[in-house]
Amino acid sequence: MKVWDRFVRIAHWSLAGCVLAAWITAESKLKSAEALHEWLGYAALAVIALRFGWGWIGPRYARFLQFVAGPARTLAYAKAVLRGNEPRYLGHNPLGGWMIVALLSVAALASLTGWLSVTDRFWGVEWVQDAHEALGDALIALAALHVAGVVYTSWRQRENLAAAMLSGVKRPPEPGDVA
Amino acid sequence: MGKAHWHGFFAAAALTLMVPAAHATGFATCDSGPREGWQPQDKLSAMLKEKGWQVRRIKEDGGCYEVYAVDDKGQRTESYFHPRTLAPVPRGAKDHKG
Repeated sequence: MKVWDRFVRIAHWSLAGCVLAAWITAESKLKSAEALHEWLGYAALAVIALRFGWGWIGPRYARFLQFVAGPARTLAYAKAVLRGNEPRYLGHNPLGGWMIVALLSVAALASLTGWLSVTDRFWGVEWVQDAHEALGDALIALAALHVAGVVYTSWRQRENLAAAMLSGVKRPPEPGDVA
Repeated sequence: MGKAHWHGFFAAAALTLMVPAAHATGFATCDSGPREGWQPQDKLSAMLKEKGWQVRRIKEDGGCYEVYAVDDKGQRTESYFHPRTLAPVPRGAKDHKG
């Protein structure tokens, strides 16, 4: 059944593309790569802003209120993962939901500090440059953890979740699943 | 861009992950010898201010002084200077002698 709407899928893959390309162009010595890095940041910021809006007005599984779980439920889910008896979620599971919030927030902050660092006001300001680098590093670390979580959950559920983010389609819920 | 460049990128990126503090953007490198022979950053800063530049930050990069400034025309600049001679180092220079 259809779980991820077209906007969520396009936003996901375009943001992933921006982050990956921004990472590759981050340390380049080429002027053109530097310019590209800058534009990737603006594009990422636009995607993130739209995704935040969609998180309130979009369909069920796109909404933050649907997938952002409270601390108790998140902890219970994490414990269930460690025991190996976590339920299948049709949308994002509680840990995945928090990962999305973390990825979007850190990506937004990385983009914003990058933007600041090329304004006249904050040009060459050390804390802005340091914050941008640290946020970029944190973003890549989170993205790696996100991919690891997707691979693990795909294996546990015998369902290719990366492919589901391409097609939007997931196996219908079975008894015991959280829809 | 050659294949070796991509390997370099990924190696650099992997290293960046492991050592977040060790960034070197390296638009140029300088053959500047031991630090005892270097002129102080303050002198470079004063020299550029004299030209009407607004100096924001000076740091070391690849044996050069890397300067972030707004120049006399109001343009943001990131430029390199040789620590011994304080001569400008062109972008892309390798082991510039000053």
